[in-house]
Amino acid sequence: MNASTLLFWPVVALVAAGGIGAAVARNLVYAALALGLCLSGVGGLYLFLQAEYLAVVQMIVYVGGILILILFGVMFSRDVLGHSTRPGWGSRILACTAGALVLGVAARLAFLVPSLASNGLSSIRTPVDSWDGQISSQSSFHLGDVLLGGWLVPFLVVAVLLTVVLVAALGLVRKDAK
Amino acid sequence: MTELLLGGPERLQNYLLLGALLFALGVVAVASRRNAVGYLMGIELMLNAANLDFVAYGRFRGPESAAHAQVASLFVIALAAAEAAVALALVYAVFRNLHDVDLERVSALNGD
Repeated sequence: MNASTLLFWPVVALVAAGGIGAAVARNLVYAALALGLCLSGVGGLYLFLQAEYLAVVQMIVYVGGILILILFGVMFSRDVLGHSTRPGWGSRILACTAGALVLGVAARLAFLVPSLASNGLSSIRTPVDSWDGQISSQSSFHLGDVLLGGWLVPFLVVAVLLTVVLVAALGLVRKDAK
Repeated sequence: MTELLLGGPERLQNYLLLGALLFALGVVAVASRRNAVGYLMGIELMLNAANLDFVAYGRFRGPESAAHAQVASLFVIALAAAEAAVALALVYAVFRNLHDVDLERVSALNGD
């Protein structure tokens, strides 16, 4: 068991614990902070997957942007501590059943992966070149080539969409909007 | 089980199982939260699970796939940011008109 394996499981535990907290914590502020832990942990997992650029984007956009928006949104809630808006037992049982069903199906699919090796997933057990603890910028170079090559038009469309969405959001919250 | 543990970051199933757990937790949050912001958190959990699976699959298929998978993930992150901005604008508009964001009490369009 090498160092990156030892580092891997605490990060996984962080993601799982944060996810559970975000899903079930009654206090919305605690749920938002747990979501922050979970999102940071996913950013760490991107490092294990040699997606350094994505890890940085995850921290900046999710933890630095969306999480702040959510914490801002929590302030609109009349019942932040969750005293009067507890979900009823019916909806709790329904939610847990749906979650268990989804978890079961997805976990089963995860173990079916080796049998899908004909799809080009040639090396399930060891990645193409395993992480040696060094951050390489190789994958970021490659990502830039692909993003501004074949994906250029979708990239521009997303950029326009973001602009439109932000202007529309401003329009929604305008002072004289009724 | 030990095989699963020892594989650590070099085993695709570990990422897929964590993604499955995150997605299921997102479903639980969406199904049980009565607050609009809590609901939004569930959606973010599900989007993150999908992103994690994208990047993991790409990583384990080879460098070419890894770059394409990361582009797909980037798009998902951008759309998640756009969705969060619109959702928060809606929450603010609802709060200003009805002074609450409890999804079961926001029923002005109910017709009753």
